[in-house]
Amino acid sequence: MGGKCPSRKVKKRRYSHKTARRSKFLLKGDDAVYEELQQNPGGEMKEATLPLDEDLPGMGQYYCLHCDRYFANVSVRDEHFKTKRHKKRVKQMMGPAPHTQLDADLAAGMGAPDNGLKLMSM
Amino acid sequence: MRLEKCWFCSSTVYPGHGIQFVRNDAKIFRFCRSKCHKNFKMKRNPRKVKWTKAYRRLHGKDMTQDTTFEFERKRNRPERYDRNLAENTLKAIKKIDKVRSDRAASHIEKRLKVRKGKERREAQKELEQSIHLVKAPQALREDQSLTLPKIKVQVSQPRSDQNQAMEE
Repeated sequence: MGGKCPSRKVKKRRYSHKTARRSKFLLKGDDAVYEELQQNPGGEMKEATLPLDEDLPGMGQYYCLHCDRYFANVSVRDEHFKTKRHKKRVKQMMGPAPHTQLDADLAAGMGAPDNGLKLMSM
Repeated sequence: MRLEKCWFCSSTVYPGHGIQFVRNDAKIFRFCRSKCHKNFKMKRNPRKVKWTKAYRRLHGKDMTQDTTFEFERKRNRPERYDRNLAENTLKAIKKIDKVRSDRAASHIEKRLKVRKGKERREAQKELEQSIHLVKAPQALREDQSLTLPKIKVQVSQPRSDQNQAMEE
C-alpha cells in the first residue's frame, strides 16, 4: 500500500494525483490478479467484452489485466505493455501462485482441511 | 475455540489477539501481531522473508513431511462429544507433541551435520595447503615428524580416524 494521503491536513505534503492513490486503494491484490489470469490465460481482454464505464479512463475499454490499470486509448496501453514495470509484473505472474491462507496453514504443520463425511448420501 | 494461523508467519492466533483484514472481495487475512500486518501492507512475500514458516519450509529448514502433521486440521464438521474420546485425545496430544518435537530436532541435527562435514573438509584442506605459514618448508623436510602423516583410509572406516591423526 503506502503512498501519501490525498486528504492530508498539511497541504504542502499531500498528493492528489491518481498515481499516488492507486497504490493505496485501487490496485487489486496479487492473488486476485493471478486467479483472473488463470481464467483467461492470454492476459489480454478483448475490447468488446469490457463493459462501458464512463468513470474510468477511456470508458474502461483499454485494460491491462496484469497491472490492473485502465488506459485512455490503445496507443497508451500499448506503450504501457513495453514498460519495464509491466514486463516485471508479467514475469511475476508467470511464476508460482501467490501465498494464500492455505499455504500458511500447511507451513504451520496443519493437514488439509477436513470437511467430514458427506451429509447427503447420493 | 478455533485457533487460526497467521497469514504471514503461520503462527497460531489465539482469540482476542492480532488483527483481521477483510478485503473487499471477502477474502480474510489474519495476522498474529502488528509486525505481520505491517509486512503484509508493505506487500512482502512471506516466501521471501526469512523468519516466516513459509520460508523455512520452502528452504528445507524445517521438517516438511511427517505423519504428525495429519492431526492438526481445520475441521469444518464438529465431532459429537464423547467423554472417553476426549480423555484419550488429551492423553494422545502430549505423546504426539513429544514425537513431533523429537523428529523436528533430529531433522535439524541431520541438516547441520552436512555443514559440519563440509567445514571439517575445508579445515583439513587449509591445513594442508598453508602449513608453510606455520613451519618453514625446510624445517618440515628435516624433521619428518612435523608433517602430516599420510594414512590410507579405507572407505568403510569413519572419517574421525583421519582427524585424530591430524591433531597429533
